Amino acid sequence: MGMRDRLQAYVPAIVLVALVAAIGLYDNTFFSSGNLLTIFADTMTLFLMASGVTFVIMIGGIDLSIQSVASLASCILAISLPRFGFGAVPLAILGGTVSGLLGGLVSTRLRIPSFIATLAVSGLVLSAAYWLSAERSINVSSEDSDRVLGWVVGETAGVPNEIWLGLAVLAILSGLFGLTPFGRLVRAIGSQERAVMASGIDVNRTKVAAYALSGTMAGVAGVVMGARLGSGSPTLANEFLLPAIACIVVGGTAITGGVGSIWRTFVGALIVQVVRIGMTFVGVSAFAQQIVFGFILVAAVAATMDRGKIFVIK
Amino acid sequence: MEPVLEIRGVSKAFPGVKALDNVSFSVGKGEVVGLIGENGAGKSTVLKVLNGIYKPDSGGVFIDGMSANITSPRDAFDKGIAMVFQEQLMLPSLTVAENIFLGREEEFLKYGLISKSRMNVAAAIELSKVRLNVAPSTRCSELSFADRQMVEIAKALSLDSRIKGDVTILLDEPTSVLERKEIDLLFEIIKDLKQRASIVFISHRLEEVLAISDRVYVMRDGKVVFETTAADATVKGLHQHMVGRQLHNEYYREARQRHPTAVPVIEAQDLAKKGRFSNVTFTLHEGEIIGIAGVIGSGREDLAKCLAGHTAIDAGVLKIGGKPVSFRAAYDATAAGIGLVPSERKIEGLVASFSVAENMTLAAIPKFVSGCVLRFALENKTARDWVDRLKIKTPSTGTMVGSLSGGNQQKVVLAKWRVAGVRVVILDHPTRGIDVGAKEDVYELIRDMTAEGLAVILLGDTLEEVIGLSSRILVMRDGEIAATFNAAPGNKPTQVELVGHMV
Repeated sequence: MGMRDRLQAYVPAIVLVALVAAIGLYDNTFFSSGNLLTIFADTMTLFLMASGVTFVIMIGGIDLSIQSVASLASCILAISLPRFGFGAVPLAILGGTVSGLLGGLVSTRLRIPSFIATLAVSGLVLSAAYWLSAERSINVSSEDSDRVLGWVVGETAGVPNEIWLGLAVLAILSGLFGLTPFGRLVRAIGSQERAVMASGIDVNRTKVAAYALSGTMAGVAGVVMGARLGSGSPTLANEFLLPAIACIVVGGTAITGGVGSIWRTFVGALIVQVVRIGMTFVGVSAFAQQIVFGFILVAAVAATMDRGKIFVIK
Repeated sequence: MEPVLEIRGVSKAFPGVKALDNVSFSVGKGEVVGLIGENGAGKSTVLKVLNGIYKPDSGGVFIDGMSANITSPRDAFDKGIAMVFQEQLMLPSLTVAENIFLGREEEFLKYGLISKSRMNVAAAIELSKVRLNVAPSTRCSELSFADRQMVEIAKALSLDSRIKGDVTILLDEPTSVLERKEIDLLFEIIKDLKQRASIVFISHRLEEVLAISDRVYVMRDGKVVFETTAADATVKGLHQHMVGRQLHNEYYREARQRHPTAVPVIEAQDLAKKGRFSNVTFTLHEGEIIGIAGVIGSGREDLAKCLAGHTAIDAGVLKIGGKPVSFRAAYDATAAGIGLVPSERKIEGLVASFSVAENMTLAAIPKFVSGCVLRFALENKTARDWVDRLKIKTPSTGTMVGSLSGGNQQKVVLAKWRVAGVRVVILDHPTRGIDVGAKEDVYELIRDMTAEGLAVILLGDTLEEVIGLSSRILVMRDGEIAATFNAAPGNKPTQVELVGHMV
C-alpha cells in the first residue's frame, strides 16, 4: 500500500471527527451523552443494512434489493410473531437470506449483471411483502415485543441494545472479511476476477454467498426496524437503499470492487447519519438535504475510485 | 535521403521493464523500413510512440525534420501517420465503411446527418486499393479474420487520399494472419504505395522483411542493435543480431533436460474444438516438456485453454493419470493437477493488488485454513520459502505483487502452482515481457520443475525457446498437429525445420 492509499483509508474517520466537532461547536448540546447515544443507536439500522451489501460491492457487484428485503423481513416478523414467538426472528432473517440467494443465483447462473438481477428480485420481494401483509401495516403487540424483541429495543449497561448488536455485527463481519477464506476470495474477486478463476476457484460460490449474506443482513435490519417501530410493512425500509449505498461509498469502499472493509462502512454510516442530523441542527430544509446527499455521494466516489486506472465508465 | 519521419533518442519505461532505451530510427520518403526483433524487443512500442499511443519518457519525434508532439492516434492521422495494429481493432457491429471512416464522419455530413451512400462510395474506393471484394455496407462481424485484416489495411491506406503531403503507414505484423495469396497482394500494394508513402513494416518472418524492405532495423531488449540495407543482409545474419548471442546450450539449461519417464500424465486422444483444432493426439509424461509451435490461428492457444479447463473441448478423450476427465471450468483442471501460467500475466495470472504471499496461496487456499480461519503464519512461512527458492526479488512477502518487475511477477505465478502442488504446468508465453536475466531464471525454474517430476506443456515466446527447452515438439498448423519432432539434448531440430511445417 502506498502512502497515499494509507492516508486515504483514514480520511473518512477524520471527516467524521471533523463533522462531529463542527456541529458540536455550533451547538454544545449536541455533545450530551444522551444525544450522542441516540444518534449512534439510530445509525445502526442503516449500518446493518449496508454491512452485507459491502461484501457484494467488494466483489464488484451491487445489491439493489436490500430495502425490499428488509421490508419483507419486517412483514414476516410481524405476521409470524404471534404464532412462533422467538422463532419469528430467524424466520424473518431466513426470508432475507433466501432473497439474497435468489439474486445471487440469478446473477451468476444466468450470467446477468447484478444490477438487473437484484432489481428484478427486488420487485419480486416487494410483491411478496405486499401479498403477505395484505398491503397493510401489521402491528406488533407490545406484549410480543417485550417478550421476544427486548434484545433489540432494550438497554444493557445504559447503552441501547441496537448499539451492542451493531458492534457485534461489526466484529463478526470484520472477522469474516479479514480472517476467513471467504473474505480473502471476496477481495480477490473484486480485484481481478479472471485471475481467481484461472487459479482454479469456483468464483460463483463465493459470489452467491456474498449475495446471500447481503440478503441476510437486510433481513436483520428489517427485524430491527420492525422491532423499533413496532410494526411490519411492505414499505417500511423505503428510502433506505440510497443512504445504505452512500454509507459504503462514503466509508471508502470502492464501488468498482476489491478495496474496502466493514469498519469503513461503519464509519460511513456514522458520517451519513451525522450529516443528516447536522443539517437538521443547522436548519437545512428536508428537501435541500437530498441535494447535499447527492453531492456527498459523487464526491465520495470521486475520492475513493482510482479513476486514473479506469478507462471505460459504464 | 531526407527522413520524413524520425525518432531520436527515445526511451520509454513501463513498471518493471524498460521497453525502449535510447532508440533512434528514421524513415525516408518512399522508403519501406523493416523492423525486426524477438517478442518484447520493443518493436510495437516504437510504432505506438510514432502513432501517439505512448508518450516517450525522453527523446522526441520529428516529422520532416521538425519536432512534433503526437498526442493521439487521431493526431497522428492528421499528421500523416496511420497504423495497422497487431491485434485487430475493428468494431464488429459496424459496417466496413463505418469502420474505415471511424472518427472522420464529418467528411460525409449532409445537413448534420451522415450520408451513408457517400460514405459507402468512398469506402468502395479504399477497398478497391486492397482488392477486397466485399460490399462497404457489410458488417465487419460477418467478415473472415483475414478480410478484416485487409479492411484494417484499407483504413490505414485511406489516409493517403485524404492527407496532402507525406504519408507514413505503420504495419505491425500485418501478415501473421494472412494466407500466402493475401501476403503477395499486400506486398504488391506496398510496392505501389511507395510512390506516395513511406512504410514501416514489422514482421516475424525475416524472409518477408528482406523481400519487401529497403532498409532494416534490428531491435533487442529495447535497443536498436543493428541497421542495414536489405540488399546487404541475410536471414542468418539478421537472426544472429536479433538473438545477440551464439545460440549456446547453456542458455536453455540443456544439460538438465531430462529423459522423459514412461509414466504418462496426460493422454490426449483426438481432441477437437469446433473451428479451433481437431485430431489432437499426444501423451505427456512425467518430467517431460512438450513444446507446441505454431503461428497465430494454429490452434495452439485454444488447445492450451482447453487443457487448462478455461474452455471446453467438443470431442475426444482426455485422460489425466489414466482416468478420463472432463472439465467444466478451470477448477476441475486444477483439481486434476493442471495449472496454467497465462500469457496475460496481470489479468489471469495474478491479483495485482494482492501481496506476494496472498498470490502464492491463491490456488491452494484450503491448505491454509484451520477451522474456518486462514493460517497467516503458515501462509507467510510458505511464501518466504518460495521467495528464497525461486530467488524472487521482493522487499517482503507482504509486498503488493503489482509493484514487482515482470520477471519476479512470473516467478510468483510459478510459485502459486508449485504451492498448489499441480503435476502439469502449461506455460503460455512464460517469458513474454520479461528481461533477459529473468528469462534465464525462469528457464532454470522450468528445469527444476521437471527434475521434480512435473510435466510441462510449453507455448514458447520464440521458436528458439521452444526448441531449447522441449524434449518433444508438436508443430500445429490450421488446428492440427502437422509434425512431431524429438528434441533430445544435442540433437535438436532447427527453426527452419519447424517453420516448414508451421506455414
